[in-house]
Amino acid sequence: MIAYPLGRRARRRSDPADGEGLVSQADLRRPGVRWGLGTAHTILLAGLVIIGVGPILWLAKSAITPTQDTITHPMSLFPHGAAWSNLTQAWTNVDVGRYFWNTIVIAIGSWLCQIVVATTAGFALSVLRPRYAKLITGLLLTTLFVPAIVLLVPLYVEIVHPPLVHHSFIDSYWAIWLPAGASAFNVVLMTRFFDNLPREIFEAARIDGCGPFRLFTSIVLPMSRPILGVVSVFALLASWKDFLWPLLVLTDPNKQPLSVRLPTIQAQTELGVFLAAMFISCLVPIVGFLIFQRSFLRGPGLSGAIKG
Amino acid sequence: MAAIRFEAVTKVYSDGTRAVDSLSLAIGEGEFMVFVGPSGCGKTTALRMVAGLEGISDGAIYIGGRKVNDVTPKERDVAMVFQNYALYPHMTVAENLGFGLKLRGENKGEIARRVREAAAALDLEDHLDRKPRALSGGQRQRVALGRAIVREPSAFLMDEPLSNLDAALRVQTRAEILKLQKRLATTTIYVTHDQVEAMTMGDRIAVMKKGTLQQIGTPEELYTRPANVFVATFIGSPSMNVVPAPTLGIRDQEHLAGFRPEHVRLGAGDADSVEFEAKVDVVEYLGDEQLVHLRLGDRPLVAKLPVEPRLHAGATAAFGIPAGCIILFGVDTGQALRPGSRGSMLQPTS
Repeated sequence: MIAYPLGRRARRRSDPADGEGLVSQADLRRPGVRWGLGTAHTILLAGLVIIGVGPILWLAKSAITPTQDTITHPMSLFPHGAAWSNLTQAWTNVDVGRYFWNTIVIAIGSWLCQIVVATTAGFALSVLRPRYAKLITGLLLTTLFVPAIVLLVPLYVEIVHPPLVHHSFIDSYWAIWLPAGASAFNVVLMTRFFDNLPREIFEAARIDGCGPFRLFTSIVLPMSRPILGVVSVFALLASWKDFLWPLLVLTDPNKQPLSVRLPTIQAQTELGVFLAAMFISCLVPIVGFLIFQRSFLRGPGLSGAIKG
Repeated sequence: MAAIRFEAVTKVYSDGTRAVDSLSLAIGEGEFMVFVGPSGCGKTTALRMVAGLEGISDGAIYIGGRKVNDVTPKERDVAMVFQNYALYPHMTVAENLGFGLKLRGENKGEIARRVREAAAALDLEDHLDRKPRALSGGQRQRVALGRAIVREPSAFLMDEPLSNLDAALRVQTRAEILKLQKRLATTTIYVTHDQVEAMTMGDRIAVMKKGTLQQIGTPEELYTRPANVFVATFIGSPSMNVVPAPTLGIRDQEHLAGFRPEHVRLGAGDADSVEFEAKVDVVEYLGDEQLVHLRLGDRPLVAKLPVEPRLHAGATAAFGIPAGCIILFGVDTGQALRPGSRGSMLQPTS
């Protein structure tokens, strides 16, 4: 009676894609190994959940807990009921909605700048390959060795006195969008991905009649969805949580994002409402990741294009 | 369709490698020309230069009488089939087939009609909405072929299109390509390293080695009148036996003697035959015939003999070759002696 499910389990385990790893089926049949492995897995999983999800769950709980309860019983689960009003107060009184919108505008602008620069630069260096492509790639790589903090002052000077434009970008979102676009890491990442796309497909497209622009939009970009996802995640998360640079270049409170406003309003805001505001600010990255994780993490999807 | 002409075409890479050296040949309208040779002989480079994917270091290529050295791939009006299919993975079969037409501004109705026609010709009608990853290897290669024929170009360029298919599918697709080419009568350059493919498909074959053209001719010409030792041993399976002429008892130190395995006869031949005695090393039984690996002194030879009488390893036997079937090659140059007048110099010593 139980032979079938056991057999099925055994077959599943024999599939290397299941990732059973170093422990063989024969080892797994031994009670000691099975018990030890199961215990280790459980402890590891529990530890990871407590470390990774615990703070987020506590924040979610505290966002709808009265301030007094959070202070007196921080680990209790709603001893005097939930305070849903924290969320509405955070949205209306603390004006989280406006900062939330600012954050979205900044993140989308930064993301767009980074995607445009990274894909076009990567395409030029990897696919079009101008004469000095290797030199340029090398120079880009060297900039990765310069700590970001070192560039803070020169970058600020550039934003205050930008070349050609002669108009300060301070208190303008361009002050965040433009420097975000100049990401050598993204360009290198994109170049390496494009390097691994099959050249024959580009050549077939050129013979079919593609010019460089059409090759970029109709062939290279659609084949690059996984790396676009990765760069998008990096870009959006970095922009969402960036604190120092927006603090320096956005002096007008009405234009500042959540990451800058939340620490500023902490002193004059009730703890429960403040925690609710923090929870709202965390929601977008978490939900975004949960929705798009599958498309971000899957393979390049080139199967069938070429015979490997 | 268009004639294609190479005029002293040379390709030298930046590292100094001379991939193609002064290649001159003409391919007629509607002709099926095969470039064949071992890896690194420059056959693919020559094809890519016609496609416009490689620059030309020296010389000129003409397609339909137009010099195309500085013409972009798009404007050369050629279609190429790649060894690795090179299908667009994010497009369906129909989109793959119609992409070239779309880029050339054809209207949607015309694109749909030609895609349907190509799909019907290649038995792909049921797969038009599928992505390449959902197709088998043979189907993918047919899509690659369809992408070429749907554009109705002036020439097809095929770079080892069958090398990724299994043996049975290769034979089947080979016949399909031939049928298609004959029906469309489109000038075709076909690159392969497989001499069987070259012999069975080409109207003419160009044999290349280290960037230089060794010989160009019909399959029969290459087989019966090879220009040099390389062509003689490259074309034909098993390849031609080439030994110093004195080994066969021919009084001539200046030449090598070449003969095909199927020309070897068991036993002493007639007066016109060259005779020799050799030891049997290995016998490969093929059902209808036997491949006998011989050793003449320290030189290995191969004979293709009728299955009876059966020979056995270790035996020593007398063999004969009709003098007219022996081709002499210069020891130093490797060039055939007066191609076409075979065996005229033979002077048996005994």
